[in-house]
Amino acid sequence: MASSILWETDIDKAVTHAKSDNKPILLDFFDAG
Amino acid sequence: MDAVTYPDTAVADFIMRAVIPLRIPANSEPLATDFTLRWTPTLILLDVNGKEHSRTVGFIAPEEFVPTILLGIAKIYFDLGQYDKTISNLELIVNNYAQSFAAPEAIYYRAVCGVKVAHDIAGLKKGYEKLAKDYPQSEWTKRALPYRLL
Repeated sequence: MASSILWETDIDKAVTHAKSDNKPILLDFFDAG
Repeated sequence: MDAVTYPDTAVADFIMRAVIPLRIPANSEPLATDFTLRWTPTLILLDVNGKEHSRTVGFIAPEEFVPTILLGIAKIYFDLGQYDKTISNLELIVNNYAQSFAAPEAIYYRAVCGVKVAHDIAGLKKGYEKLAKDYPQSEWTKRALPYRLL
């Protein structure tokens, strides 16, 4: 059970993880304020 | 999203299990321009090569989040022609989130996948009939309307 979301913040690293885990990427563009 | 949806345990567990979560500030360039970002929140589903396949704009409530993202994942596999994976994600929506906004579209695409996989033309009509019965006001019922004649 995960209790919080561990967000990747670098798209290149996210792609690397996506390929290694064979998972799609959920990209959330958010308003940083 | 930070105040309501992401703190939801079911949402967080689903995200960590099903996708690689990536968060980028809306003013981050060149990504904001590359992805034609115009509003927040915007959620985009990318395949393993970083190619966009679908997006949603606006707040998503916790009870809608999982089926919405499952539909986005299904669209990735549909675009890639991986229909078995498409169907498995669509059926999760149809079977477990029948009251969600994503359900009618999932039914539509499930029927389409029947044609892609097994040339199941009759399945298109069955899909329309299910949509007409359970979701008469959905735009996806209207989109499937021609299939009533099959």
